[in-house]
Amino acid sequence: MESAVAAEPKFLASAREQQRRMVEEYYEGLAHAGGPKKPVAYMLVGGNLTEIVRSFGYEVVFPEIVALNCAIKHVSLPNILHAESQGYGLDVCSYVKNDLGLQELGGETPFGRIPPPDLLVCSFSGCYVYVKWWEALAEKYGCPLFMLDVPYMRDDRPQAEDLQYLVSQLNEFIALLEKTTGRSFDLAELRRVLAQSRRAEEGWVDYLDSGRRRPSPIEAYFEAVFYMFPINVLRGTEAAATFYASVNAEVLERIETGRFPVPEEKFRLVVEGVPPYPSYRTFWDFFRKWGAVSVAATYPKVGGLFDRGFLHDPARPLESIAEYSLGAYVNQAWPLRRKLIEEYVRDFSADAVLIHGIKSCRSFTAGQGDLRDWLIHDLGIPTLYLESDHEDPRYFAPAQVKNRMDAFFESLAPRRRTPPVSMGTA
Amino acid sequence: MTLVAGVDIGSTTAKCVLLEEGKVIGKSLAPVGVELVKDAERALAQALTETGRERREVRVVTGTGYGRFKVTFGQFTLTEIGCHAKGSHFLFPATRVVLDIGGQDTKAIKVNDQGEVIDFAMNDKCAAGTGRFLDVCAGALGFDVSEIGPLSQGARHPVKVTNTCTVFAESEVASYVARGKDPRDILAGLYESVVSRSLSLLQRVGIEPEVTFTGGVSRNEGVVRALDRRLGYPSNVSSLSQYVGAIGAALHGLARAEAATT
Repeated sequence: MESAVAAEPKFLASAREQQRRMVEEYYEGLAHAGGPKKPVAYMLVGGNLTEIVRSFGYEVVFPEIVALNCAIKHVSLPNILHAESQGYGLDVCSYVKNDLGLQELGGETPFGRIPPPDLLVCSFSGCYVYVKWWEALAEKYGCPLFMLDVPYMRDDRPQAEDLQYLVSQLNEFIALLEKTTGRSFDLAELRRVLAQSRRAEEGWVDYLDSGRRRPSPIEAYFEAVFYMFPINVLRGTEAAATFYASVNAEVLERIETGRFPVPEEKFRLVVEGVPPYPSYRTFWDFFRKWGAVSVAATYPKVGGLFDRGFLHDPARPLESIAEYSLGAYVNQAWPLRRKLIEEYVRDFSADAVLIHGIKSCRSFTAGQGDLRDWLIHDLGIPTLYLESDHEDPRYFAPAQVKNRMDAFFESLAPRRRTPPVSMGTA
Repeated sequence: MTLVAGVDIGSTTAKCVLLEEGKVIGKSLAPVGVELVKDAERALAQALTETGRERREVRVVTGTGYGRFKVTFGQFTLTEIGCHAKGSHFLFPATRVVLDIGGQDTKAIKVNDQGEVIDFAMNDKCAAGTGRFLDVCAGALGFDVSEIGPLSQGARHPVKVTNTCTVFAESEVASYVARGKDPRDILAGLYESVVSRSLSLLQRVGIEPEVTFTGGVSRNEGVVRALDRRLGYPSNVSSLSQYVGAIGAALHGLARAEAATT
């Protein structure tokens, strides 16, 4: 039954504080970045080439992450409306509209000024709108644009010809970087950065794996999104490499003290899809009121499916980066996405799946309706499909979302796949 | 003898049902205004007046519908999805799928043999194909929505009406009127449009007999005929079809009350 919840969700106190500081320092640092001294590379989260640009001394900006930061702070709409006033349609991805609107308005956000790019790296070519986004930025700023053409991942393992194709593009990319920076490629530096990335990835995987425990000591969607920042934005830095040790120490403390994300875990969910950032807390509260916790989620893996066995390998630098780009969650063909979700339900003892579709994104969302039908009709897994938007607050109707969630949880209790556990048991 | 009440505060009407000994002994239905708490209280009071029973005799009151949280004098709340499932099973025990078309919502609900929800699908952020849709289009034809049900009888060439937007549909109806189309053909086209939109939701949950049709729009015999034709068999429509949510709420309250005493 639905119940009242604590006003604030409980985070891992020190880790959340540390993450907050890292975000602040990152955006403060960006205010002084740009130009030849500390050039800025814009990149997409999926399949990004962070390690390579870092080895050349670039600071990295992920406009998708800037956009979600705007949305969660309720400042995305003016940017979106400005982009629409420039001619971008209602159906255009609102990450794109937030960024292009923000750029036109001067790049000022409540968390700092976003510097213009010195280099544009379109690291995910699976979304045509993203390709056009990067072209629009290149036209605006006149800076070099590198398009990484990443074939869709069609099998469990990357195919040799795909890897070869990507490595050849990475060599072209390195040549471009040498030309634009006037610096020579430093393989030892790339290996050092990759080693830092790997440390962060290992810690992140340990964190995500703890969702298998019952009750789950982590909230693998709403809370995990906060701890995604270092793995996505700061990967390759010492700060990200050490961050997850603190996170996991606190997760252990949660297990030992029995202070879990929801006071009484009633429903364990696997969540698929990008969150509705403008209504993040409202959406989260709808879960918490029902004692529902997400034990695994696909969205925190958009920056890398590290929990499925892939880790960057300093001994095989370019091959390993190519494997990473191919294996990004957004780059997986639907049969692989389905398989992953099915395995999460099984391995994390989930009761149900919740899918959050994005109105303005057909690239990531197309296929989620079929996913829902497949989970319900073929696998018998209770599944709820909801739709709003990741950036545009106009698409989130709280009463309708709540009504659907209430009905879903009401009906889920008699169909629960696993009995609820009382606190203190693992 | 346990007297229980279900109060369903929908987007358009407030319904109340009094249930005793497995029978509906009283009911009320009235439009909702802006003061939902008062509407809910009035709905219960009217049902009690109809039966000559006292408020203190009602053991449990359960609220449902979008305004369920405004049934502040009740003990329980449940979504209308669960209540329509429960209420349909009560009226037609072989129900496997419920189609509920209310004022602003269309719901397709798959139920098991206990009347529990297995799956559901709803219209999304658009009232096309709902009661409001018919209301607006009836107005464009110069009728009241309550009188249009039988008027599609005798239609020979039903027109095509969009089912994606109520406002566009209203313009289309006005345009057909201006072109001199037979109102019967326009209404038949409207009903086909409502059913076609509902079928896509029904297909999401999987259609299997028996299908029980509930909500205000189920009172429209033209829509029922169009639905039955597309299904290929008759749907269940009770004379209490507008009260199914309230019946489900009352049953839910009764089950809770019985569980508490055992």
